[in-house]
Amino acid sequence: MNSATFANTGSGFKDPRKLSFERDWIRRTVLASYWIVIILAFPFWWHLTSIERLALPTSQIRLQVQKNIIFPIAVHFDASITEQNPNLNSRVQTLLRDSAINEPGRWKGVDLRLQDRNDEASNLYTVALGEQTSIAHSRHLRVNKTDAQSATRLSSILSDLIAPPESSTSHSQRVVQYSNHYRLAFTLLNEGAAPNRFVETWDVQAALAEFIFPLISRLSILHNFTVESQVQYYAPLAFEPKRLTFGDTEASGLTQEDLTVFVNSAEWTLASSVSNDPVLHFVLFAPSETHSPMSIIDSEGRPTNQYSFLLPQWGSIFILNNEFNSSSLHLSYNDLKPVFCNFATQLAALLGVPPVPLGLSMEESSILSDWQLDALLRRRAFQNVQGSQDTLHSIVKLVDQINNMPVGQVVRDDVLDALASLHEAYRTAIASPALALRWSSRALSMASRAFFNPGMLALLYFPAEHKYAVYTPLFASISVPLVVALIRDFMAWRRGSQDDGRR
Amino acid sequence: MSHYALFPLTLGQILREYAITELHLTLNAGKWNYDNWGHPHEAGVGTGAELWAWMGVSEVTTVDERWSGLRNALSGLFCASLGSLDTRRTLSPTVAFPLSGSTPTFAPHELRHASLPSENVCTENLTPFLKLLPCKSHAGLAALLNPQKVFDADWHGMGIHVIWKEDAGVELKLTLQAVFNPVRTSAGKRRDWNLQSLFDRTIERPCPVANSSSVTVILPEEEDHKITPENPTYADGLAIYGLSSSSNFTIPLNIGMHWPSEHSFHYPLPPLTPVAPLSVKRTIHGTTQTRGVLSVSVTNNSPQELLAGYLEMMPALLTLWMHTLKVEINSQLRSDLLSGLKYHPPSLQSNDRLSPSMLQAVLTIPPKTTLKISMEVNKAFLKYTEHPPDAMRGWDLPGAVFFPLPQLSHDTCSSCDWERIYTPTLLVDLPTPDFSMPYNVIILSCTLMTLIFGSIFNLLTRKWVVVEIQE
Repeated sequence: MNSATFANTGSGFKDPRKLSFERDWIRRTVLASYWIVIILAFPFWWHLTSIERLALPTSQIRLQVQKNIIFPIAVHFDASITEQNPNLNSRVQTLLRDSAINEPGRWKGVDLRLQDRNDEASNLYTVALGEQTSIAHSRHLRVNKTDAQSATRLSSILSDLIAPPESSTSHSQRVVQYSNHYRLAFTLLNEGAAPNRFVETWDVQAALAEFIFPLISRLSILHNFTVESQVQYYAPLAFEPKRLTFGDTEASGLTQEDLTVFVNSAEWTLASSVSNDPVLHFVLFAPSETHSPMSIIDSEGRPTNQYSFLLPQWGSIFILNNEFNSSSLHLSYNDLKPVFCNFATQLAALLGVPPVPLGLSMEESSILSDWQLDALLRRRAFQNVQGSQDTLHSIVKLVDQINNMPVGQVVRDDVLDALASLHEAYRTAIASPALALRWSSRALSMASRAFFNPGMLALLYFPAEHKYAVYTPLFASISVPLVVALIRDFMAWRRGSQDDGRR
Repeated sequence: MSHYALFPLTLGQILREYAITELHLTLNAGKWNYDNWGHPHEAGVGTGAELWAWMGVSEVTTVDERWSGLRNALSGLFCASLGSLDTRRTLSPTVAFPLSGSTPTFAPHELRHASLPSENVCTENLTPFLKLLPCKSHAGLAALLNPQKVFDADWHGMGIHVIWKEDAGVELKLTLQAVFNPVRTSAGKRRDWNLQSLFDRTIERPCPVANSSSVTVILPEEEDHKITPENPTYADGLAIYGLSSSSNFTIPLNIGMHWPSEHSFHYPLPPLTPVAPLSVKRTIHGTTQTRGVLSVSVTNNSPQELLAGYLEMMPALLTLWMHTLKVEINSQLRSDLLSGLKYHPPSLQSNDRLSPSMLQAVLTIPPKTTLKISMEVNKAFLKYTEHPPDAMRGWDLPGAVFFPLPQLSHDTCSSCDWERIYTPTLLVDLPTPDFSMPYNVIILSCTLMTLIFGSIFNLLTRKWVVVEIQE
């Protein structure tokens, strides 16, 4: 109506409704095409700005975590024993089963069976009658007559050999974390270097060859070792030891508290940062003139006859109290014998080698029996499997919890590799604990590598809020006219259709 | 398996791990004043950190991998920022930095050299350095090295030199040099000095494992000085105090010198005659942030003609324009004095970084003249992520190196026996962007996009109606 009057005034303007682009459907098509482009582009935008999160084999990991590595062990009693006591087999079996129920932690992963027949399987342990109770050559045990009679005694020897007790928590904390490669650093530390009162040279090579190398060559199935030695002068203590007086002689004493702070890492340069392999330190400490002789004192302040102590997961320290004469700037092989004998024992303890059970002797002068080595292999493999299971579980949990955490192909491959290695470890455990250890160690290192992958941290410090901060200036200002136009057209369309309805 | 007695285990491990044949690391603070102080005992006095190593080529690991491992291991050992001596700083200037030990025959050897002039040398570098000594700082001469006094000196620097000798094995030399100025620290402006006043310490006891240790004092030419203790071994203008256990010096030993007849010390007035055969000045000028001129002036102080190698190792922060290279004496072009010019422009590395450029030339400097070299440079415009947090301070450029070359004429000349000379470092001001720029760009471009979008969208969807105005 209005427009009609406008047109009739004859001013030369066209009626806007007659303009070609002023049609409702054209306007609506323009609006719709905008929205279609936006809706079509949305998935692309979403894909391009999202974080790469590959799916981890969660269900497989859950399944593997519930599994446990099992080492089947067969023990065979020789006819020399079973002849005298025919039902010994079943009685020992019951006692062992009871022990397994009472101490499940100790028997974890071990499946012990007593076998009647003697088939020549590689992992078969045999028990036979002998002169005295002793560990003989590979996987063979001799028992004397009285021990052979008692099922309790037999079962306790067997359980000590096959599943050595983890005596206390302190014991398990003393053992170093498993690693493929260790550095053994032997250090001769002179606290002072007053003239003629210090050690300049030592026969370390001979002592190492005698005491340490046989042990580490036996353990080479578990770990590789690098051996280093050094001599240092002026290595002061960080504290003043207690003065002790006995009549006219003076000595210094180290209390239990002193031992915990004995290592003065600020002043002693013991290790370098050249590799990430764990280092085990063996320190021969020569006290200075003022502190000599030095001994460890007990809680009542009396000196003990102990000269060495072990620092859990770090190494061992031996205090040298040789009386110096003016020419003894050199420690001979004979001087070093007790020191390195001690270091060898401490090294075995640090690496978790189970001790020979009480009342048992070693028949041959071998450093480590196959019984001990097998028990160590089983325990290390079991710990590695548990460690890798825990790590894999943690990865899955972490990725579930943090939505911003990227999971790349590398992480996924490492996780899959760890799973495959775990599977191999389960499979080979039946035949060979050494192979199982190798696979379990690979699983552990792969799982840790996946867990510590630096790529997983990349976006944690770039939260989604930053992205919105960048996009808002563009998106907010563009979306307002789009939405308003949509609403306006919708209202107009509704009004139009109502008008039509009324008409 | 390896056993160490006097050689430090921590350093030995690094040398073994990365199979280093020869290694030189120097950490210096201040600039060495060649004109007044002459040549240092150890040639490596370039400001900041300088590391160079010769490594045999092996098939197991590449030289560059080992070089990067070496840098990181040494920066861990000495608490220095050697890790940043990456491909942007590394070059291989074999002529200026030759092998100083035996030439190994078992494998071809390669050199890697890098320097970081902005490195600050401080106590945290001295402590690990002293720990490499058998007696640390508890006995022997090293006991004098009191950080508070050493770092108060006019110039100080430490060096680790590992040299392989075919007949003797690996030789490790730890050096610490410092220039003290007793006149500056004394209240009465006297030049008397003794160990106690210089270091706040005296020599308490010899290091028991040292084969020999001695203190050498260069005696001044004037006669009116007194030296205590009074019974050193005199030789050739030097006073030598041997410190072996058999020597007859009382311990603690406090060596000193005093001038009883002199009330206060007066510095000699200029003009001074420079002590070193060459004096070098190097500057960069130009007022803009994009261009400049690098000019070097070399003066030959000796009466003979000198042949000197000139080495410029320039990070890609500056581009040198070779066509603008000019050699002048008294404003006269003398291109004939510069020969054997070699120039490696910056090359793009695999990690998208530019290697430094290297300019090497031979200068023939006539006696008692000053040679001026100048060339135009362009200053780089860096990516905003490459700027350090304190970008406004400017960038340190390593000093140029002048090194002796064998003389053409075989005359024996006293002034020809000179060693590597480092020029002071330069500070260059690069164009620095406003660091809030990325967000400004986002906001600006978003606003522009919105404006364009809004107007077009409105044009397309606007509904035109005629409004009748009631009159």
